[in-house]
Amino acid sequence: MTDASPTAAAQAFVVVERTYKAPAEELWALWTTKAGFESWWGPQGFRVEVHTWDARAGGELTYDMIADSPEMVAAMKNMGQPVSQATHGRFGEFRPHARLSLIHVIDFIPGADPYENTIEVDFFPASEATRMVVTIQPHRDPHWTRMSIEGFNGQIKKLDQRFSQG
Amino acid sequence: MHMTTFEALSDPTRRRIVAALREGERPVGDVVRLAGIHQSGVSRHLRILDEAGFVSVRPDGQRRLYALRPEPFRELEAWLEQYRQLWEARLDRFGAALDQKRADKTPAPEEPEP
Repeated sequence: MTDASPTAAAQAFVVVERTYKAPAEELWALWTTKAGFESWWGPQGFRVEVHTWDARAGGELTYDMIADSPEMVAAMKNMGQPVSQATHGRFGEFRPHARLSLIHVIDFIPGADPYENTIEVDFFPASEATRMVVTIQPHRDPHWTRMSIEGFNGQIKKLDQRFSQG
Repeated sequence: MHMTTFEALSDPTRRRIVAALREGERPVGDVVRLAGIHQSGVSRHLRILDEAGFVSVRPDGQRRLYALRPEPFRELEAWLEQYRQLWEARLDRFGAALDQKRADKTPAPEEPEP
């Protein structure tokens, strides 16, 4: 198939949204400060260690995504994946408290050409809360997505249990 | 979810063909007209869609009739749903981090003097 271009994923977006009882500034800080980003980014069972953080339009970011629970370390090893993954990208749009885009360069999938993955975030203030809308281009590499889902599903269940207990 | 699912829909002409077939089974001539595409490449595009499982084809006298098959669309939908769930979990973590940050900022109430 010579005319196949990797644009189909760009046609299929996943949109998730939440409303938090906090001003947009606080939500924005969790996306755009090093400490904020490190406090939540990545799936359960991983932690993030930021190395480069240039929070402005076009600014670079590099970080390691590190499996840090025994279960996740074992899961990654079972799947033949590294327990620490160097990740890099840049900020795209950067309109404080309103709109942000994060562009990751996916260049660590064996056998797949590098591609970019964009996450867009919009913040809509609503009285004493802020609605946050995240628009994601799913990773187009099916192996990576399947691996992510298999690896993360167990962790998501744990998270659910924790919240339901809370 | 196979790479071919994405590749099959990566081409705008093929997406127009899929849109044209939403109305139901059609012969090639109708597909060309409804999709507003050139006759020249339509067989190749239909073959690719057929190979990726998006369309079925059956003979009807001299004609061949094309129709959409639901399976790859269901597969695509299920795949996107799984992806969405991953992000829902991620936003759970975001919310927990936000709560933690707000709790850290709020001064603890003073213990009453005994």
